[in-house]
Amino acid sequence: MRNILLIARREYLEQIHGRAFMFSTVLVPLLIVALLGWSSMSDRKAVAGKHLAIAADNAEIANRVRYEMLSDKDARFDVELVAPATQQDVAALLKQVHEKSIDGLLSINTSSDGAVTATYTSLSSGGFANIGGLQNALNRGLIDERMIARGIKPVDADELLKRVSVETLQLNQQGVTEQSKGSTPFYKAVLMAFLLSMPIMLYGLDMARAIIEEKNSRIFEVMLSITRADDLLAGKLVGVGAVGLTQIAIWMAAATLFLGSSLAATVLTGNLDIHFSLMEGLFFPVYFVLGFALFSTLFSGLAATCETSQDLQKFMPLAIIPLYLSMGILPVLLKDPNSIWAVAASLFPLTAPYVMLPRMGLEAVPLWQLAASLGLLILAIWATLWVSSRLYRVGILMYGKRATLPELVRWLRYS
Amino acid sequence: MPVVALAGVTKAYENKIAVSDLSLSIEAGQMFGLLGPNGAGKTSSIRMMMGITVPDSGSITLFDKPFARNSLEQVGYLPEERGLYKKMKVLDQLIFFGQLHGLAREESQKRAVAWAARMEISDALPKRTEELSKGMQQKIQFIATLLHSPQLIVMDEPFSGLDPVNAVLVERTLLELKDQGKAILFSTHRMDQVEKLCDSICLINNGKAVLAGNLRQIKARYERNHVIVEFEGSSAFLKSEEVAQAKNFSGHAEITLKPNGDAQKLLHEAAAMATIFRFELVEPSLEEIFIQTVGVNADA
Repeated sequence: MRNILLIARREYLEQIHGRAFMFSTVLVPLLIVALLGWSSMSDRKAVAGKHLAIAADNAEIANRVRYEMLSDKDARFDVELVAPATQQDVAALLKQVHEKSIDGLLSINTSSDGAVTATYTSLSSGGFANIGGLQNALNRGLIDERMIARGIKPVDADELLKRVSVETLQLNQQGVTEQSKGSTPFYKAVLMAFLLSMPIMLYGLDMARAIIEEKNSRIFEVMLSITRADDLLAGKLVGVGAVGLTQIAIWMAAATLFLGSSLAATVLTGNLDIHFSLMEGLFFPVYFVLGFALFSTLFSGLAATCETSQDLQKFMPLAIIPLYLSMGILPVLLKDPNSIWAVAASLFPLTAPYVMLPRMGLEAVPLWQLAASLGLLILAIWATLWVSSRLYRVGILMYGKRATLPELVRWLRYS
Repeated sequence: MPVVALAGVTKAYENKIAVSDLSLSIEAGQMFGLLGPNGAGKTSSIRMMMGITVPDSGSITLFDKPFARNSLEQVGYLPEERGLYKKMKVLDQLIFFGQLHGLAREESQKRAVAWAARMEISDALPKRTEELSKGMQQKIQFIATLLHSPQLIVMDEPFSGLDPVNAVLVERTLLELKDQGKAILFSTHRMDQVEKLCDSICLINNGKAVLAGNLRQIKARYERNHVIVEFEGSSAFLKSEEVAQAKNFSGHAEITLKPNGDAQKLLHEAAAMATIFRFELVEPSLEEIFIQTVGVNADA
């Protein structure tokens, strides 16, 4: 045990003083805050203060569309109207778009048979982020106008077209309903999957690369004359795992400080109003430790069979595929967190570390599923440790060539 | 009481027998040379002594007890290739190895500083290992092997990468340790160093011991049929009927006599042709014994 702790301490100190640790610890939170800030800013910029012009040959239709556009409180359009518009008017407005004195021009044309066509022109394809809102306003305006044309009073037309929005509620663990937050769970799920997968992959693969490097430097020859291979592997796992936990603790502390700042109030609004529950805070390190233990144990055993980092590349799908599967399952998870695929992915050991926590953010996961997910992960770690420690014991002393599959099977048998 | 003893040890890897029925023992205060051509089974034998691998059959005793891992705290091992953490600072590295061998941190540090001064590398202590030359790294590995005052010291090519000055420093240190009663085993290709330092040897080839015992006694078994001559004048005597083979290095000749060749007769012939400053009948060198026994060059 003393040697395990000494090896763990050495691994911990070496990694914690390394540039990679400092870089990723500081850079990742900065990157996330920058992305959130940019997303928040661009959201607001996209919907607020747009100065548009409507050019139409039919003044009534144009007026109704303008009315609907101005009714959209989120968009806060400033709408200029030119109707009935001549070709010269349209050309002049397009010139204004080109000169950036207006952000875009909505042209509405009515043909002789009454068919309406509309075009929106701006300087870039992404110049109008809320195109859905524009279409909505145009169609409501047209329906409004057609109803009025059929003798329905404007007030009645408004009444008939009154929208009913569906409020989404969520039952929490205590059975109390809470207001759901629109797209917020999506951002939150992606953020959680990212925050978990990044350190698990980073440290797992870093450890594998270190094993290959140490194997080539023959350090194992010395270490194995002092301590057992299993102690060496355990010390490495504990040390590198502790580095990952330290990083997560720093991130959590930084997040707490950030959430208490005025910057958070500015950034975390609307769809980005992301907050974590105590349960999520508790299970985040748990799933990190288990996920890290599973992947790093697996890759430690495999790394011991390799001669170079290039040899390790062929095993990369074992790390990448579960990650892609987890990311791929997120839309399914968001649509129905209780679907068979979402439940399976949150129980399957290779995807559970990335999927269960985002799922916990979306619904109250039944306790038995939580227990099964953790139990299966622990079982998988135990099985991986059994295989990897055998590969490790033999592999770290085998030099010269990459082991073939039959050789690996033999190593498992005679170690 | 032998410090380490191997009795009938055999180890096979898949289709190859690395060590076959090997027996040897090393006493306290003895310097032991493990010799053999590449692939003979030296490293496999050492690995079994160090508990890195386990023999398929036979037994290993350490300090007169069946092999146990905790006995390794009294053993120091220097592998053929340097096994050091490259990014670690030298002092931290030495402290770490001392601690792994059971020393307290403070004691480990104290000894590391003292050994660094003794081996003339105090300046290197705050540096990272990767910043140092091969020879310096070899000295650090040497210190890491000895820091915990092991009773058994196992060294695979300890002079590798050392310049002549540092090789002498290491030689002197090993002799001091021997005088302190430590048992030292070293494996090397350098026959001159084995001849100079070792009391006993074991020469292995194809995993088997082909020659073992006290070095003086082994050499005494071989006939004194080698002559060293230093002379001035004609070298025609080197073609004498008594001579099987001769190497002439302008005034210094190394001669191998024919079986039953007469050294006195050769001396007379040489004296008649040249002025003789030295005529010495010597026992064969270890390298010659090695070549005779194994049938290949020592560096093969």
